[in-house]
Amino acid sequence: MRQPRKLAKWLVVLVALHAIVAAAGFFAPYDPVEQDRQRPYLPPMRIHLMDAHGHLHLRPFFYPLKLREGSFDQYEENTATSVPLLFFRSGASYRLLGFVPARLHLFGATGARIYFLGSDAYGRDQLSRILYGGQVSLLAGLLGAGVTLLLGALVGMAAGYYGGWRDELLMRIAELFLALPWLYLLFALRAFLPLGVGPFDSFLLVVVVIGIVGWARPARLVRGVVLSVKERDFVRAARGFGASDFYLLRRHILPETASVLLTQAAILVPQFVLAEMTLSFLGLGVPEPLSSWGNLLATLQQYNVLVSCWWMYLPALAIVPFFLGYLRLASALQQRTVTYKIDEKNDWNPS
Amino acid sequence: MRYLLHRALHAVFLLLGVSLLTFLFSSLTPGNYFDEMRLNPQISPDTVAALRAQYQLDRPLPIRYLHWLSAVAHGELGFSFAYNTPVAPLLWVRARNTLLLTGTATLLAWLMALPLGVWSAARFGRAPDRVLSWATATLLVVPDLVLALCLLILAVRTGWFPTGGLVSVGFDELSPLHKFRDLISHMSLPVVALVLATLPMLVRHVRASVTEVLDAPFLRAARSHGIPDRKLLYQYALRAAANPLISLFGFSVGTLLSGSLLVEVIMSWPGLGPLLLEAILARDLYVVIGGVLLSMLFLVTGNLFADVLLYWADPRIRTTASAK
Amino acid sequence: MRKQRSFPRRCGITMSLLLACVSTIALPALGSPHPQQTNAKEELLSLPGEIGRSGGRLVISLRAEPKTLNPLTAADAPSREVIGAMQADLVHINRATQLTEPALAKSWKISPDGLQYTLTLRQGLRFSDGHPLDADDVLFTFRVYLDESVHATQRDLLIVGGKPITVRKLDAQTLVFQFAKPYGVEERLFDGLAILPRHLLEKPYQEGKLGQLWTTATPPSEWAGLGPFRLKEYVAGQKLVLERNPYYWKTDTKGNRLPYLDELVFLFVPSADVQVLRFQSGETDIISRLGAENFSVLGRQQRGYSMSDAGPGLEYNFLFFNLNDLGEKSSADFALKQKWFRDVRFRQAISAAVDREAIVRLVYQGRGAALWSPVTLGNRRWVNSSIPHSPRSLDRARALLKEAGFSWSTASNGESSLLDSKGKPVEFSILTSSSNADRTKMATLLQDDLKQLGIHVQVIPLEFRSLIDRVTQTKEYDSCLLGLASFDADPNSDLNVWLSSGGTHLWNPSQAHPSTAWEAEIDRLMEQQLSTPGYDQRKKLYDRVLEILAENQPMIFLASPDILVGAKNSVANLHPAVLEPYVLWNVEQLYFRNSAEIAGR
Repeated sequence: MRQPRKLAKWLVVLVALHAIVAAAGFFAPYDPVEQDRQRPYLPPMRIHLMDAHGHLHLRPFFYPLKLREGSFDQYEENTATSVPLLFFRSGASYRLLGFVPARLHLFGATGARIYFLGSDAYGRDQLSRILYGGQVSLLAGLLGAGVTLLLGALVGMAAGYYGGWRDELLMRIAELFLALPWLYLLFALRAFLPLGVGPFDSFLLVVVVIGIVGWARPARLVRGVVLSVKERDFVRAARGFGASDFYLLRRHILPETASVLLTQAAILVPQFVLAEMTLSFLGLGVPEPLSSWGNLLATLQQYNVLVSCWWMYLPALAIVPFFLGYLRLASALQQRTVTYKIDEKNDWNPS
Repeated sequence: MRYLLHRALHAVFLLLGVSLLTFLFSSLTPGNYFDEMRLNPQISPDTVAALRAQYQLDRPLPIRYLHWLSAVAHGELGFSFAYNTPVAPLLWVRARNTLLLTGTATLLAWLMALPLGVWSAARFGRAPDRVLSWATATLLVVPDLVLALCLLILAVRTGWFPTGGLVSVGFDELSPLHKFRDLISHMSLPVVALVLATLPMLVRHVRASVTEVLDAPFLRAARSHGIPDRKLLYQYALRAAANPLISLFGFSVGTLLSGSLLVEVIMSWPGLGPLLLEAILARDLYVVIGGVLLSMLFLVTGNLFADVLLYWADPRIRTTASAK
Repeated sequence: MRKQRSFPRRCGITMSLLLACVSTIALPALGSPHPQQTNAKEELLSLPGEIGRSGGRLVISLRAEPKTLNPLTAADAPSREVIGAMQADLVHINRATQLTEPALAKSWKISPDGLQYTLTLRQGLRFSDGHPLDADDVLFTFRVYLDESVHATQRDLLIVGGKPITVRKLDAQTLVFQFAKPYGVEERLFDGLAILPRHLLEKPYQEGKLGQLWTTATPPSEWAGLGPFRLKEYVAGQKLVLERNPYYWKTDTKGNRLPYLDELVFLFVPSADVQVLRFQSGETDIISRLGAENFSVLGRQQRGYSMSDAGPGLEYNFLFFNLNDLGEKSSADFALKQKWFRDVRFRQAISAAVDREAIVRLVYQGRGAALWSPVTLGNRRWVNSSIPHSPRSLDRARALLKEAGFSWSTASNGESSLLDSKGKPVEFSILTSSSNADRTKMATLLQDDLKQLGIHVQVIPLEFRSLIDRVTQTKEYDSCLLGLASFDADPNSDLNVWLSSGGTHLWNPSQAHPSTAWEAEIDRLMEQQLSTPGYDQRKKLYDRVLEILAENQPMIFLASPDILVGAKNSVANLHPAVLEPYVLWNVEQLYFRNSAEIAGR
């Protein structure tokens, strides 16, 4: 049975990746909003084991960078002072998972800031920003998928179970949403809603917008499942015993839809993360000083960054393992589920 | 025929619904097009108010909607404040540019996906199939945002490709051959970005559908009759597997207008996407509605086209439909 | 056979002789593509400067498509830039000297009471379609500008002393402009007021269709102007092509009719960064108003082009607080905040805490200047050097805040926060335009600066139109960081910003009566300088206005960027100015240095 092993493997990989991002405070050496005015657009620092005199050090160290004379954007290493890299040191305070206060960081340094992946226009550490940005983007994707699936499940179950005019009406509305070009709808919706709210509210708004746009497809799939399950013997028997609608939905029908919903989740989460990134890239997503992967990539639209700051491309790489994990998870899940072939040609899911 | 009519009517209702929704949304938004003029010390607030009145921006929503509907009945789509022209010609030009890009990219993608998918399905599980699977998986996980940015930096660094735009400045004076070359060179990077973005998914789907069909008894029978492999794959297996692929093709046709927004923005291709984005941010109401409706029209047409094609291609649907 | 051969030969000789005769007569007349003969009756303006060579096509990119070619309705920068190359005015401000010069009017006289301006037009001039220009065109132009039903953007400029100016014609070349009150700006008023062709526009004006004419898609035959270039072609979404105006009324000192260039092409690009891309790849010849970072990057890769810094421009960036009198509409929360904002010591403290040097260094990479008043160094004649350039001082800020009744508390994590006299922590938000990266950066820097005073600031980048709506209409905001650029180096260009009744009096626009004594004083001074002739007196009055602004800090001035431009080395005669249009103000004198460039285009 190769399938469960594969499924388990990718699940573990994904959980590990998410754990790294969730524990961003630990892995990131600094607060993502902490500015360093003297070091904008710093290239990544090099870790040395061998110093300028040819001596080998056991503990890795780095040279702080300073601006070249008369230049505003060219840096050179200051080989006069070497700053050792320390592990498991106490640094800026943060809140693990949002509520556990902690001060332990994986690595750090005293006397100078270590910029593993360079800095941005305000001198903020890119590594920290990428990690915290992952929290925002992934959370947006997960919550958005949650909203969509919740909406879709509710609507699909109602439509499939009750049938009749309710079904017709709900499916017509679903078609309306399906017929809209989702990217345009996303922008229009986001741009037309209040843009002047704080970062956290803006984030929630983005989640809700993304969630609302995509409910139609899961709704149809769930409806398909419900339609077929509704007529199964065990459901009829339960109804014969006088079970209420709510009981039937919750106890018998919902579990059957679970596998469809799970598969959809694995497909939707990366799509929604991408949607958040697209929104933020075009300026309609999460605002300053919050970072998100889309936000971080948006700076690439500036010519000087595009041409001379190669380290600003790195957030693009950060997404790749997550997408890979979700993709593999989705295909493993799809191989396991039985697809309910109701109205197949209209239920096409090209994801 | 009745079916087509039914679907056409359905489409009209959809369009009306969407236009109403968009109008409603626009009334929620703060600000309008003329706000930019308020910040100009040379222009008094009265002039701004007069301009607003001139374009009927101060009228209540239902009246504006009805006006717009009557304009649509006459074949116009409203007026663009930003460009100072009627919306329809503006949209056609931009849509034409977008279609040039996405049409080419979709065609190329499908022309490449079909053989690749079939070839991969024929060698299911073996080395070539695994390599292709791995390649498509890699491409899939790279967002098209990143792809387009990488291609742009390639153009900037090497100078082999233009860094954006539709044609060069001196286009009009070139000979037809050079004009063609110029256009192709400007199109190449955006097309590559779009193909790379859509190809992996297409290949996977072709492969999946053909694989499902390959085990069917009728194919084994045909092979035992001595029919050569290639004919088998393309004429028999592909046709049988066509059902989901045709729906997918319909979806491809449907997203011809809306799927390339990011690539167009990053590569500064003067298409519908950047126009819409700009219009949304500038509160150029009628351009937004016109653009959304146009791409919705394409989506709906694409679905319809797929349905018709399915009806024609798949005898099973014909019989079920007539049995209904 | 022989007969046939001899006949053609003889014919051939005769033909070539004839041809030679004809060509020696006709060729000079067909001659060079640029007609050198000038009509003896034409009174042309001869411009000093380098003599250039004819020919070539100059390509420059615009960050957005021009909305219209109609001077009456053009309000956006790209339209103004294009129109500037196509139109001419009666009196023009030389962007390099910032002083007025004769243009279509060869001379003018101002009456002793300052109420009458008599302008004399040049004789024999023609529009770009060959139609002659006379005083009737000028009369028509001003009638259109002043007509209320046309809603021309210029109308507000022509209302002096509460009444619109009147124009009348003395003869075919002389016009008299009558003002209700003396106008301090004097003849600078006429700069930018394009003279419109009566022969094309009178009929549409009478039909009321004037505002809809002259869109970018206008056929060239329906357009005419007096500028160095005339409309040739418009390709939607791509470019606007202008060609040389053969009837242009300026020449160089050798008598060659200007402009030198054959064509001027405006390329439309979607953003400033794409502008840089196009310039770097060689598609455009000039790039104007670069950001400092792009300027440095381009400066490092100079291949065939050179970058230049024209010095401080007229743009001034500032932070202002919401001082509107909202009455019942404001929430209790905001009313409390406004109490802080209204205290002048609070504003002065903020001003003292701002690190202006960091802004210039980090936002403009040193290519800018710190500001303590709205008049930048680029505005040479009106700079007030007596305004103190107080350096950043957190101590002074704290002293001011203490004086105003604020105090500090220290939280458990060592961070101190500012509390007002009632013990409430001081927090507010700064709105900025999300599309302007520079100002967003400034706001973020301010946020950090004020954190050191214990003030918690939230930066809210807002989409531009929503921002304007908030600031001018709903007035729901705490503070805002914006920038304005004066269109002329004259106090009047920002009149509506300083007058309390002005629509751009951003911290409290369109007041019925000035709400504070100092605003009333500013009103009085501005009105006075408006009708005071003579630079010295106006300067004294305006200096006083600037002092009042510095004392009361309704706007905390931050920094001003330099004007940064770049051009291919083959472009000659380029003298970037700090007034709009920065590089094209002398477009008639620009030319290409090497003939290879000219031939290849």
